[in-house]
Amino acid sequence: MELEYLEEVKKLLHSRNYKVVGTDVKRVDSLEKVTGMAKYAADYLMEKVLHVKAVRSPYAHALVKRIDKASALKVPGVEAVITAQDVPGENQIGYLVDDQPIITPKARYIGDIVALVVARDERTAWQGADQLRVEYEELPAIFDPREALNNDIKIHDHSRTATEVKILKGNVEEAFSHCDVIVERVYRTGSQDHAYLEPEAAVAIPTGVRSVNVIGTTQNPFRTRHTVARVLGWKDSDVTVMTPYIGGGFGGKDTYGPLICSLATLAAVKLGRPAMIVYSRYESFAYRFKRGPFEIRYKTGATKDGKVRAIQVDYIVDAGGYATWSVGFTKRAAYHATGVYEIGNVKIEGYAVYTNNLPNAAFNGFGNPQMLFAAESQMDIMAEALNMDPVEFRLKNALVPGSRTGTNQLLDHAVGIKELIQKVADQANWKGKRTQYESEQKGNKRRGIGVGCSWHGCGTTGFKRDWAGASVIVNPDGSVTYSTGIVEIGQGTITSHAMMVAEVLGVPFDRVRVDANNTGTMPDSGETHAQRGTIIGGTAAVDAALKIRKRMNKLAAELWECTEEEVAFENGENYNLKSPAQRIAFQDLAYEMYMRGIPPAEYGFIKARRGYPDPETGQGDPYAAYTFGCTIAEVEVDLETGQLNVLRLIPGVAAGKIIQPAVVKGQVYGCGMLGLGFATTERVLRKDGRMLNPSYTDYLIPTIKDMPEMADLVVVEDEYKYSGFGAKGVGEIAFIATPLAIANALYQALGIRFHEMPLDMEKIYFTLREKKSHGSRG
Amino acid sequence: MEAEVRPLAKMDFVAPSSLKEVLSLLEKHGNKAKLLAGGTDLIPKMKKRAIMADLVIDLNRISGLSQIEVRNDGLHIGGLTRLAEIKESPLVKEKAPALVQAISLMASPPIRNRATMAGNLGTASPAADTAPPLLVLDASVKLESARGERIIPLSEFFTGPQSTVRRPDEILTEVFLPVQDGSSAFLKLGRRKAFTLSVVSVAAFARIRRGKFEEVRLALGAVAPTPIRGRRVEENLKGKEVNEQNIAQAAEIIKGEIKPIADVRASEEYRREMSLIFTRRVLEQIGGRG
Amino acid sequence: MRVQFKLNGRDIAEEAEPYETLLDFLRERLNVTSVKKGCDEGDCGACTILLNGKPVRSCLLLAVQMREGDEITTVEGLAKQGEVNEIQEAFMEKYGLQCGFCTPGMILTAKALLDVNPQPTVEEIKDQFEGNLCRCTGYAQIIESVQRAAELRAGRR
Repeated sequence: MELEYLEEVKKLLHSRNYKVVGTDVKRVDSLEKVTGMAKYAADYLMEKVLHVKAVRSPYAHALVKRIDKASALKVPGVEAVITAQDVPGENQIGYLVDDQPIITPKARYIGDIVALVVARDERTAWQGADQLRVEYEELPAIFDPREALNNDIKIHDHSRTATEVKILKGNVEEAFSHCDVIVERVYRTGSQDHAYLEPEAAVAIPTGVRSVNVIGTTQNPFRTRHTVARVLGWKDSDVTVMTPYIGGGFGGKDTYGPLICSLATLAAVKLGRPAMIVYSRYESFAYRFKRGPFEIRYKTGATKDGKVRAIQVDYIVDAGGYATWSVGFTKRAAYHATGVYEIGNVKIEGYAVYTNNLPNAAFNGFGNPQMLFAAESQMDIMAEALNMDPVEFRLKNALVPGSRTGTNQLLDHAVGIKELIQKVADQANWKGKRTQYESEQKGNKRRGIGVGCSWHGCGTTGFKRDWAGASVIVNPDGSVTYSTGIVEIGQGTITSHAMMVAEVLGVPFDRVRVDANNTGTMPDSGETHAQRGTIIGGTAAVDAALKIRKRMNKLAAELWECTEEEVAFENGENYNLKSPAQRIAFQDLAYEMYMRGIPPAEYGFIKARRGYPDPETGQGDPYAAYTFGCTIAEVEVDLETGQLNVLRLIPGVAAGKIIQPAVVKGQVYGCGMLGLGFATTERVLRKDGRMLNPSYTDYLIPTIKDMPEMADLVVVEDEYKYSGFGAKGVGEIAFIATPLAIANALYQALGIRFHEMPLDMEKIYFTLREKKSHGSRG
Repeated sequence: MEAEVRPLAKMDFVAPSSLKEVLSLLEKHGNKAKLLAGGTDLIPKMKKRAIMADLVIDLNRISGLSQIEVRNDGLHIGGLTRLAEIKESPLVKEKAPALVQAISLMASPPIRNRATMAGNLGTASPAADTAPPLLVLDASVKLESARGERIIPLSEFFTGPQSTVRRPDEILTEVFLPVQDGSSAFLKLGRRKAFTLSVVSVAAFARIRRGKFEEVRLALGAVAPTPIRGRRVEENLKGKEVNEQNIAQAAEIIKGEIKPIADVRASEEYRREMSLIFTRRVLEQIGGRG
Repeated sequence: MRVQFKLNGRDIAEEAEPYETLLDFLRERLNVTSVKKGCDEGDCGACTILLNGKPVRSCLLLAVQMREGDEITTVEGLAKQGEVNEIQEAFMEKYGLQCGFCTPGMILTAKALLDVNPQPTVEEIKDQFEGNLCRCTGYAQIIESVQRAAELRAGRR
């Protein structure tokens, strides 16, 4: 990614207006989705496919002493019982830490899989699972991460913590000693379920003695391929992962994809026949890994001129029974802990601690909603202490081109946050509303307006593998076949890629066909997560397309006896800038390439432009670029019931060039609702490691009626030089800012600060009642 | 604690075309048979094994039990009338607006397109939203069996969570609301704005003459083992002037009439407090001040 | 037991067990996979079908409940000779979908609404869709899609 792709593209296109990029095209997948032709994993229904049911530990911490396979095998139609001993390869699916068996001899959370029952149909698989006798030796379990740090209970032998992270910049002690205002508070955030409409599923079909196809709900086909191969004891190339249409991911199918695909494959390979596993909604809620709860002690110091000088943050994360992605999100939280501000002195220490809770893993925001809830609450508290308007205070401290982050990364461009905050504030009529709600409100309702700023580095956290490949083939008829390993999970990314390829090649969008769902043929583009699909995945697409286009220009230059720079192209036509009568249609030029033996295909491959922070100081460049977000929220509280009603959201993003405006609007609005749910109605209720509300009845995601008024999206196109067309990522940024704004709006409404997420209606009610009885403003 | 949804257990199925057939089947099978009307409660419960049935009797081919009629004595709603139809009925909007309000705030259109009046009452959830409006309108239900029929006041119909006086060989064929002057209202507190179970629900009926509560009735859902009438609140308020003070005073009494529990939706304490708030609000609304 | 009904205008006659939900019957016996299993207990709307024109949860119906005169509509029945209908067109045009899993249910619910109320207000649209969950779009573009579908039906382009 060393090339300044944006500049390259602009030069190549002679700085003309884009014909495809920045317009609204029909998504490549929308026709299949509206006609019902789109097939999701569980739609691959085959005659005689075996069904797999997981048998799970009812205990949070237990050794599996004995499994009586016969007890299940005697049920007519049960064909196999697979236990830990039956895993042919390595019994290991750990994501970043090798601490997680696929079928475990020791249960570390309620629901940990101890066996698989494989049967001729779903009903029989259930019956077999009911009959299977498993003997456990129960072990003492621990559910509180703070307690787990100081306890004798050993969940894993190698460590009590799944990961640790430290950031050290400047000298916080010294800086605090010069501060005029210091605020220190403790914040807690709860878990959250992805609750996507499609439960996890996978179908595995053996295709040979040592080859298998797996169709499954995964956001990372290549990692999945590797994990499946590992579990089988095969080579990566023996396994082909095929991504079907996927009904929502949000990170949930990032962590869980390899797992669900491995379960299906173990069964299929053992029996030599197709096997499928489809999670029930209950299983998806009760056992799939969720957002990690954080407890954060956050200390901020500022001088009376309104500049934040230092922060000190200590936090602890509940990793659950296995590390999975807590290694990543614990670190991401640290790298972003300053918020969107330039702060010279930073000291951060965070731990993800093993407990016997359900493992916590990837979910949109990935540590940032939690950490920035603390950071942005602190900013409002500081602003009040300094007698400054919250927006003014943020503008005073915001990152600008030339700033250094908390990890000392230099951001020399694509830092649109200051402009964004101003524009969102204007769009929201911030000053007017702020004043309006500041004055005495009557009756039983109180209104408030609040702001939340977010940032989110694009690229996989802490992971040396941040690469992407892409393949562009110009066909002899002038159509284009494009392939990428980035997965379409609803976010529209592969359409963006196709648009960028069409733009670079100079063809109408409908000429490009995306063919991207098979690890046997598509390039490895890494994981679809961390807002990297367009900025990193898409840049590989541009890389490939640029190479072909330059070859085509060279050919055209030869044909017209002009220079390559004089070759212009758009909408399927190529012509000589100096002498436009010299023209050739794209398909004819393509055919000419074939006739002359000039390669018509190209493989783009890039590695993200970032480093890997120092383990002791956290200093370094953890991400290629940062997307910024700012949301303003207006809320109304019913003082009698504690109900928090979000009236209006005004979202904004600084995400570089927007490739597909309508799709980005959808992403932002959708993320806004995810954030609204996180802030208000969504609670993962647990007792002793068991989820108490594993259904849509009692895990409440926003309905259409819970949608607030949504203002038009504010956009700042702070283009990033090193990505194709200057785009950054946008999939998570608007989620993160939403709960922060809601919390700050709630403060203005009530004058009471809540340090916990969600902002639960009962919590608000009882806090108000207590305040009333103590005679404070209510 | 939430039970897991699983494939339905094996069962027998019959879809009779007359009430007579149903009664005869119930006489024969009693408790081993379950009545399938809307299915919106029965099917999920069967999937979770909370209800087991040897025989499922599909009521959806029977005609004559889904009429909505106004006769001299009052409003008659057939037991198999779909909630969606009740919600749209001009007769019900006129005679029992609180019932229409309750249906608008419960479940969602696809559920209401199948769910029936008899089903919502028969499943006897303490939080059944149609119950409070029917209770304040002094509704009664007709239970028919091969042995004959009986009319039960709705206030005597519920005996506990998921439990009623209906005998295994009986079917609820009609809900009856007597003629009365006055107005009714319904309010509900949920954890989100739509498609959610009540944390607390309230209904009130009142006839106001010369600024006084000539007749007043109150009912609550989700705060006791069954939907209940707030009779002590009613006694306190009857005959009194319609004003904020009297209403607030009377509403306080509700705390002693309810027996809320803690569950995944709310704590006991919160339900207790909200019962008071919503009792006051619905009385204010019915008194013309809400 | 024998089950007979019309599916998207086509006569269906198949065997089914009493314990089969209509959802499983449609998906597994008839391969109508546009109808999705999101929760299997009536809480999400992904299994929505039109039964005699009205939206219902197919996961809460038994296949054996269907009778000869019943007409079931799924999205497979909307496109005529390869041409999508105006609701499908509107959802594509206005981006009323992202992952697409809730989309068949949304489109059928829109059809049921527009068939009885050709010019719904935003409130009326919200009333109709309150039982259809979507996790991706935040609903705004779904509302816009329904409004656009109403426009297309009225012949205004």
